Amino acid sequence: MAMVDQPLYPIAVLIDELKNEDIQLRLNSIRRLSTIARALGEERTRKELIPFLSENNDDDDEVLLAMAEELGVFIPYVGGVEHANVLLPPLETLCTVEETCVRDKAVESLCRIGAQMREQDLVEHFIPLVKRLAAGEWFTARVSSCGLFHIVYPSAPEVVKTELRAIYGQLCQDDMPMVRRSAATNLGKFAATVEAPHLKSDIMSVFEDLTQDDQDSVRLLAVEGCAALGKLLEPQDCVAHILPVIVNFSQDKSWRVRYMVANQLYELCEAVGPDPTRSELVPAYVRLLRDNEAEVRIAAAGKVTKFSRILNPELAIQHILPCVKELSTDSSQHVRSALASVIMGMAPVLGKDATIEQLLPIFLSLLKDEFPDVRLNIISKLDQVNQVIGIDLLSQSLLPAIVELAEDRHWRVRLAIIEYIPLLASQLGVGFFDDKLGALCMQWLKDKLERNARISRECCHGVDLDRVVHLTSLWSKELSSRIIVDRSSSERLAFSLHVYSIRDAAANNIKRLAEEFGPDWAMQHIIPQVLDMVTDPHYLYRMTILQAISLLAPVLGSEITSSKLLPLVINASKDRVPNIKFNVAKVLQSLIPIVDQSVVENSIRPCLVELSEDPDVDVRFFASQALQSSEQVLCSEKTLSRSEMGFDDH
Amino acid sequence: MIKQILSKLPKKVPKSDSSDSSRSDSSNSTSFGNVFQCTNVGSTISSKLNVVKRVSSVVFPASMSAGVEAVDPCLSFKDVSNTQKQSLFISKLNLCCKVYDMSDPDKNSTEQDLKRQTLLELVDYVSSGSVKFTEPAIAALCKMFATNLFRVFPPKFRTSTTGGETEDEEPMFDPAWSHLQVVYDLLLQFINYNSLDMKVAKAHIDHAFILRLLDLFDSEDPRERDCLKTILHRIYGKFMVHRPFIRKSVSNIIYRFVFETERHNGIAELLEIFGSVISGFALPLKEEHKIFLWKALLPLHKPKSVGIYHQQLTYCVVQFIDKDQRLASSVIKGLLKYWPVTNSQKELMFISELEEILEMTSMAEFQNIMVPLFRRMAYCLNSSHYQVAERAHLLWNNEHILNLITQNRQVILPLVFSALVHNAQSHWNQAVLNLTQNIRKMLTQMDEELVAACQRRIEEEESGASAAAERRRVTWERLEAAAAAAGVQSSSVGGGDVLVPVKSATCSVAC
Repeated sequence: MAMVDQPLYPIAVLIDELKNEDIQLRLNSIRRLSTIARALGEERTRKELIPFLSENNDDDDEVLLAMAEELGVFIPYVGGVEHANVLLPPLETLCTVEETCVRDKAVESLCRIGAQMREQDLVEHFIPLVKRLAAGEWFTARVSSCGLFHIVYPSAPEVVKTELRAIYGQLCQDDMPMVRRSAATNLGKFAATVEAPHLKSDIMSVFEDLTQDDQDSVRLLAVEGCAALGKLLEPQDCVAHILPVIVNFSQDKSWRVRYMVANQLYELCEAVGPDPTRSELVPAYVRLLRDNEAEVRIAAAGKVTKFSRILNPELAIQHILPCVKELSTDSSQHVRSALASVIMGMAPVLGKDATIEQLLPIFLSLLKDEFPDVRLNIISKLDQVNQVIGIDLLSQSLLPAIVELAEDRHWRVRLAIIEYIPLLASQLGVGFFDDKLGALCMQWLKDKLERNARISRECCHGVDLDRVVHLTSLWSKELSSRIIVDRSSSERLAFSLHVYSIRDAAANNIKRLAEEFGPDWAMQHIIPQVLDMVTDPHYLYRMTILQAISLLAPVLGSEITSSKLLPLVINASKDRVPNIKFNVAKVLQSLIPIVDQSVVENSIRPCLVELSEDPDVDVRFFASQALQSSEQVLCSEKTLSRSEMGFDDH
Repeated sequence: MIKQILSKLPKKVPKSDSSDSSRSDSSNSTSFGNVFQCTNVGSTISSKLNVVKRVSSVVFPASMSAGVEAVDPCLSFKDVSNTQKQSLFISKLNLCCKVYDMSDPDKNSTEQDLKRQTLLELVDYVSSGSVKFTEPAIAALCKMFATNLFRVFPPKFRTSTTGGETEDEEPMFDPAWSHLQVVYDLLLQFINYNSLDMKVAKAHIDHAFILRLLDLFDSEDPRERDCLKTILHRIYGKFMVHRPFIRKSVSNIIYRFVFETERHNGIAELLEIFGSVISGFALPLKEEHKIFLWKALLPLHKPKSVGIYHQQLTYCVVQFIDKDQRLASSVIKGLLKYWPVTNSQKELMFISELEEILEMTSMAEFQNIMVPLFRRMAYCLNSSHYQVAERAHLLWNNEHILNLITQNRQVILPLVFSALVHNAQSHWNQAVLNLTQNIRKMLTQMDEELVAACQRRIEEEESGASAAAERRRVTWERLEAAAAAAGVQSSSVGGGDVLVPVKSATCSVAC
């Protein structure tokens, strides 16, 4: 063809591709920008490619996003850091587009480039760019500019620094709330680069404006600024300037702002330091714990432990504990759940006596909560209490509750208890376990082994059995092998259940069993079952078996797979249900790398070829996909040798 | 709480301060006024007085406006002299400034009833038309509006369902509605009032007030949004000075919705107001208005919840084009930019909006955008979602659109013909197949020669498609090789002139 003789013009290729109406092709060519750049060489990349990209900004947002991302790592292709500034103009344009994610990506790329640029280049090229964006007519440019100040500020000369601070101040008072929000979001980053004296004068006054903004969306961003600025200021300044703001915010009329304070409380406490926290923030926190809005209480309840750790035990007992008591009977289940997830951590803070006297009743009431999540959250952290009050007391007061929960009506709770038994066992020590919990566990096991109906029911409930097996390995191998034999029969039951996730779990279990006990055991216990079920009249079970086979194959190795499993799969390809057939294609594809090349050629490929002529479109699709991958395996070997040859030719 | 809200209304702060300071000296005259009042009117209401006094002593102190004699708020308007009506009006308003927690109906129920009664009296009084709104009266009114209406909405009720499709959720009803409704009623009456002194009114219905009012559009309660819609519309109509500010603030709400949160309950209502605002724009359209169209209305097509407000949005867009036909092509370009990729329901909305716009589009405008437009239409005709495909076919039944197509058939037919051929070969839906056939029949009648040419071209293209893909692959492979060679060269030579090695690499590949 004539085209092959033509010289190659990388730019022309790109231009051509970017004109294509298929967005996927345009995206692909942008993703390969670096190839074009390398083909062009550094100089022509700078002089031709980058200017072209600067003008090509009328494309779909998806293409622009890809371009913004590619340009962020383009420094090596334009000739290194000393030429990095040529990348700024196209990114500047992308900073002004409408779509938020394109702008964000462009800012991110600019930051990445700016961080590598030489100081003089920053002054010469980057600072003017920031100023231009900050003065942009449309808000998108101004929004983008806010995220760039921290990159240029440290390199700027003194005069320019003053100017930059002033510009940032204006952005914080911009007409458009979008700009103010962006300025508030980025204030912490910018402030970290500003020198201490200016921080106190310029930045703090800007910050105070933001904290009094009439839009709550701006104020709540300023909450985060509190923590960031607090860390930068001297302790006494922080107490003088940040603390009152936090206290004010904690009484803001917008619950979103109060929520943010509750959410950021720990960071805020860190910023102001422990003493002011004890004196000033405790009342604020107590207010948040008693807030009208459940959302705020949820956030506040989640910080109970972290906050108490900053306080001394007396303060915690005096101020926080009464609130905790109230929260444990809160009307919102989410509040109780949030509390339950952290309250155990209070035990070490309060010490033994207070825990026994005050916390235990709360634990117990939460353990009996009507909402399962609350109960679960308590159970999962029992170990922390154990450390404080000791095992005896724990077993006295909490074990009855745990035993009760083990018979809970709600199967997730029972499951959780069983799940936590090994954890408890390891935490509480083997002696204790054998003593108190062992009998309990045995009882569960017996239940399952003796009553088949119960077994199938427990299987319905997910993976209890698996846990039990895991648990029994704590005792003796002897016992566990007995259970496992019975277990594979209960897996059978699990297979015949109608919930996909359970069948899926069952297939996975089989695989793990095979891994643990080796191929021989699997041959003896699993394969016969599998052979049996592959002809089940219900197609769902047949399908699950196929899945199990694809999982078992890598474990059992090439030989067993080709001799025992593969024939089953090949047989299944004659199934009358298309879903089985395309799953056969998928399984065969997964078997390709496991078995020998000859087996692929002789059994797998013929079967796939047959499937690829199936009347059903999906079967054809997956069969041809599997065929392709089998070819790729071949091809990759061939191309490897070809490229070696090609290399020799040179 | 009240204080905080007031502090957001800067102009009124000094006033409430001065009233605070004058509290002590006016309280004397208050009680005096009370007694005087009662003796004047007679014994009929003296029985009420005992109950009332307790309330008034709570209400009065903070509620006095300087220079106005206070009157017991529980008196009826018909029971006082004309001169005192003004003071009674204000004291009633002040009584209504107390906000109750209405989520618990048993709490403060007598006070709540009293407030509701008072509010209703106020509405009656204002609707009688004999009120003269003095400066203090307006100030007290606006203060009452602010304390009752301007509140922060509670968080959205936590639902366990994932997603957040607001479309099929039950609307939330505010428990305080029985009060809010009357307050809104009063606000509407006030703004509608014929002999309202606009100079004074606009000092109180100021930017901060409007901003708060706009915030309320996010209310979950559809009844509230409906009231707000009427009120904002009236304010826009009556307060000419505030118009630019209202337009700007609504744009900001829309920007935030589109670019940041995608959550707002009142977009449909705001657009409904704007529909009528736009139809009132003077010609030629100001640049500001066109920017609103391009930067706010068109991006509003992007959020996935567009279905909730699409009808109103289409109306606004159509109003714009109705004003100035030359906007049609830029609007269609915008639609194409935000054209949904996976959401078929949205695609259906887009096609109907497109049809409405195309009906008003002139030939010149149409020619500007017909190429990208019919590229998109080809995809729609091919859509495997039968409703989308059907809808796209039905566009051709529109006489005006068909006329536009016929006149430009040389350009359009080649763009869509392959889609029609594909449909005929492989579309699964019978209705779509029939429609495709109809269109093909129609096209053949329109221009047999062109159809034949298109047919030939498709055949050529199909045979050339794999060749083109192959060419593309080869080109990129060559580029890849050239890039690799350049990399090797520059690293071995040390970054010398890269141009030459690129060429040589090209040749070696070419040979």
